[in-house]
Amino acid sequence: MEKPIQTQTCACAPGMGALPNGCASLAFPYIPMQENNPIRFSRTEALQTGTLFPGLDLPFKAAIQAQTQLPNTALVELMALDFAIKELNLYLDTHAGDQEVLQLYWSYLNLAKEGREKYEKMYGPLTSTTPTPENGYAWLKDPWPWDVGGND
Amino acid sequence: MFVYEKKLQYPVKVKNTNPKLASVIISQYGGPDGELGASLRYLSQRFSMPYPELKGLLTDIGTEELGHLEMIGALVHQLTRNLTEEQIRSAGFDTYFVDRTAGVYPTAASGFPYSAASMACKGDLVADLTEDLAADGATIQEQHGWKPLKTLDC
Repeated sequence: MEKPIQTQTCACAPGMGALPNGCASLAFPYIPMQENNPIRFSRTEALQTGTLFPGLDLPFKAAIQAQTQLPNTALVELMALDFAIKELNLYLDTHAGDQEVLQLYWSYLNLAKEGREKYEKMYGPLTSTTPTPENGYAWLKDPWPWDVGGND
Repeated sequence: MFVYEKKLQYPVKVKNTNPKLASVIISQYGGPDGELGASLRYLSQRFSMPYPELKGLLTDIGTEELGHLEMIGALVHQLTRNLTEEQIRSAGFDTYFVDRTAGVYPTAASGFPYSAASMACKGDLVADLTEDLAADGATIQEQHGWKPLKTLDC
């Protein structure tokens, strides 16, 4: 008699992902598949670490994180939110069926829409197509992102 | 179609200029495994990808790499601002400066200009994804955290 197909009842540890017969470290050339709804850093922590997912936070990146202290500014807050969104975007490209993360992604998108509007009111347009009726063609205003003072 | 947003992905704020450091970091801009190569690699390979997951992933990663390119450019720009002649000479930045002054030019640190010969786009799913791993996968430094395959205890 054939053995019934076993449904997987156990999960891989954080930092590991599923292969057909076991778990393996994430982000290495055998490409284990990251499991659904993986644990996540806070948004600020993610921006400082360079990944939203502790499972993908390798020692090299952790060493950098230890030296980094980001200021608590509106720009950094928006950067952190946008970074989390980018990470979820890439995750969903390979995990489109993860409803929980999809809901989180959409809620972050709403937050970012509000945050972006607030930021633009205070610091000027983020895109050339943001209307700025009170400030003329404010798109050209210095500093640009690469200028000194462009990230304050 | 691409839309530019007037902010970096991560803040770049350089307190002290350092042309020596800039002459090394420039490789991440236009070197063989730099951000320019990464964006072109992903954004070119996506055209022949057969699955929507991969079309999306390469589009979204390639786009993010353009943001990384901008950060490295900002970094090099800020590291090389207001240089004195003495700084340029003593920091080993003179060979770059003679050709590009403080322009941010896509080149490897060795002086070799950016070359698409350092990337592949073969129109084959496995060949292209393997190429991406070689160029942009986990680095040697990161592999210190490597763990051997473990069997699931179910």
